[in-house]
Amino acid sequence: MEIQVTETKGVTVVVPTGDLDMEAADQIRRTLTELIDKGQLKLVMDLGSVGYIDSSGLGTLVAAMKQARAAGGNLKLCALQDDVRSIFEMTRLIKVMAVHATRQEAVASWG
Amino acid sequence: MTDGGSEGTFVLTSEPQHLARLRDWLREELTRHEVDGREQFGLQVAVGEICSNSIKHAYAGLGGKPIHVSVRWGEDRVVIEVRDFGRKFDPELYRPPDLEALPEGGVGLHIAKQFVDEFSFDVTQEQGTRWILVKYLPGAEPKSRTP
Repeated sequence: MEIQVTETKGVTVVVPTGDLDMEAADQIRRTLTELIDKGQLKLVMDLGSVGYIDSSGLGTLVAAMKQARAAGGNLKLCALQDDVRSIFEMTRLIKVMAVHATRQEAVASWG
Repeated sequence: MTDGGSEGTFVLTSEPQHLARLRDWLREELTRHEVDGREQFGLQVAVGEICSNSIKHAYAGLGGKPIHVSVRWGEDRVVIEVRDFGRKFDPELYRPPDLEALPEGGVGLHIAKQFVDEFSFDVTQEQGTRWILVKYLPGAEPKSRTP
């Protein structure tokens, strides 16, 4: 999986491309853990280029969200494709994670 | 959409990197039978979750172990079987996830069940578990569904 990390207005934006499955979960986990450990706690993950996610991918995002929140930050999501969004809905994560329609909205939500 | 009696099988080994190839194969199989994109996604997720479950639990993360996925087409349904040959699934040990508690794992079977019409497993073989997923095809009459 290809993962781009950029900074915008003090917010770290993580953009994975590909399938967020059992194979990619470790790579995503490492990336997010390193960012949080470095103190980059205003995180946005743009899932616009992710067409598939499974329970391993979800678990990685939930773990990172908890880690970021515990350190005073958060992991926010944006640009979910319809199929991917359906997984967040059936696991009710859509209600507890901060999910925004676009990257601009997600970044702006940090104020 | 119907293609009574046809069947395809994909064999992978228990490394996560093979799951993408499995999804590609399943997508081709479903496309050939004119299953639409939304249903394709759901079945790919369901089958992927069962295979991930086999990798994690039946084979305890060990690579090189066989997983067989077969797709059988009936007049009104597609039946997908996933067969592993590792430690059998024990329903006594299975706990449905508490979704309110933000679980970091243990939701794979819950997700798989959401995308199919019937979901069952068979542990009567000498080794491993046979998972059976049934999805009714659009237009299939409810009366034709097995209770």
